Amino acid sequence: MGKQYEIPVGAQHISLLEPLHFRFTTENEKIVKTDANVFYVHRGIEQACCSKFKFRQVSFVVGRVCGLCSISHTTAYSQVAEKLLKIEIPRRAKYLRMLVIELDRIHSHLLCLSHVAENSGFEALFMKTMQYREFSMELLEAVCGNRIQYDFSIVGGVTRDLKPEVADMILKRLDHFMPQLEELIGIYKNNWTLSLKNKGVGRISKEDAMRLNVVGPFARAAGLAVDVRNETEDLLPWKEVGYEMITDTAGDVHARNMVRLREIEVSIRIIRNVIAGLPESDLVTETKAFPEGEATVRLEAPRGELFYYAKGNKTQVLERLKIKAPTFSNVAGMVHAFTNNEYASAPAIIASYDPCLSCTAR
Amino acid sequence: MNTFFSAIGNLFKEPVTTKYPFEPTYKPDDYRGLIGFEESLCIWCRRCELACPPGAIVFSQDMEGKQTYHYNRAVCIYCGECVRACPKEGALFQTAEPAPCALKEENINNGWNQLFDEALDSREKFAAEKKRKAAEKAAADKAAAAAKKAAEEQAGTNNETSAG
Repeated sequence: MGKQYEIPVGAQHISLLEPLHFRFTTENEKIVKTDANVFYVHRGIEQACCSKFKFRQVSFVVGRVCGLCSISHTTAYSQVAEKLLKIEIPRRAKYLRMLVIELDRIHSHLLCLSHVAENSGFEALFMKTMQYREFSMELLEAVCGNRIQYDFSIVGGVTRDLKPEVADMILKRLDHFMPQLEELIGIYKNNWTLSLKNKGVGRISKEDAMRLNVVGPFARAAGLAVDVRNETEDLLPWKEVGYEMITDTAGDVHARNMVRLREIEVSIRIIRNVIAGLPESDLVTETKAFPEGEATVRLEAPRGELFYYAKGNKTQVLERLKIKAPTFSNVAGMVHAFTNNEYASAPAIIASYDPCLSCTAR
Repeated sequence: MNTFFSAIGNLFKEPVTTKYPFEPTYKPDDYRGLIGFEESLCIWCRRCELACPPGAIVFSQDMEGKQTYHYNRAVCIYCGECVRACPKEGALFQTAEPAPCALKEENINNGWNQLFDEALDSREKFAAEKKRKAAEKAAADKAAAAAKKAAEEQAGTNNETSAG
């Protein structure tokens, strides 16, 4: 056994997007042990949702939990509030929610991929991926009226309708994006420089992934078939619009990249099917009821399973709201997957987890 | 090798970014911008104030009962919840115009907090004044009624005495 060194990374570090602290214990260059601290951005959102804001306003507050998966949070909260109010939302609203969630997934996955490329030392690919990602931001702006923080779902439905010209624009831009996606898949799959930093790095086995309760693309890359879209049908009809499970077996950074890229293909198919089969109905179910009882909701955010619990007591203000973000479930797996890797690979591994600390710490 | 040639080719390409100050960037027609207010249509129900998540709308009230609409674009999150809450079509509407930057002179944070408190105070004062006036009126009415009754009773006793 050689001499051990402790290397802290974060809370502010050049390779980190958000405040996250790792303390690596290394032996020569090998990481033997990792500690993580993920609660640097606690903002007390849960408490604010249960005291300051009325239950209809909370969907806008939880949209500010995270910039990237804003729509997942708003939709999950809207669904849990609808369960408390015991209302069924119109079918068109369900389809529009799925459309925006999938558009959001495309932009979130491309952002993660670009950061993996950047942290692996491939700056040019980072710029290329970000360039191709721009179309999804513009589509989200056209659909929701804002590039981030869409405020699209409200309790009982959605705020805006999909205009026919915007639907045409989405289909046209997606057709334009398909060859670009193929080009990206080619680069991420075959590039030799990238493979040195990605193949066989940050590996987690299927058994460990299951034991440590890993979710999202991180788990699917290890061969664990977990996806809320595959498990629930009651709130959003995913299978109707052509959802397909994407898994890989390697469990390393490269496998995570490939899972994300192929999930973008699935998202594009879902968006096309949603636009082709958009049902005609109202957008919002109006109700004057107050939330009562307890309810839980699970939703597949870009990073994995998002969990919401709410308790109402027949007043305007909720009694309790609990958010469990996908990154929180992944922390144990993240810490585990560093073991026996080179310290120099750590930035690429961190980026490949796609950690979202604002969600985790709330 | 392919990558190498495409990299050389990229040197002669136009930049993909927009030349922003000289060219406009992409903006949809129904961009979520500033909230507009049409005073002549407003029915002063204050539902927008109740619905607004960040509290960017507040109504103040003077002693005659006339209400004034205040809106802070720096607090507003442009969600359009006020427009959906508005029962009167056209009184509140969302424009596609992005909010201009706030200047130091505007004192947009502290000034707004002060204004917000003052607006709530002014409403409380008006309500207290209204209550006081109502109580005064009730007292006056009661006094008038009592005086009338007393006068009637007086008249009755006078009649009685005159009759007696």
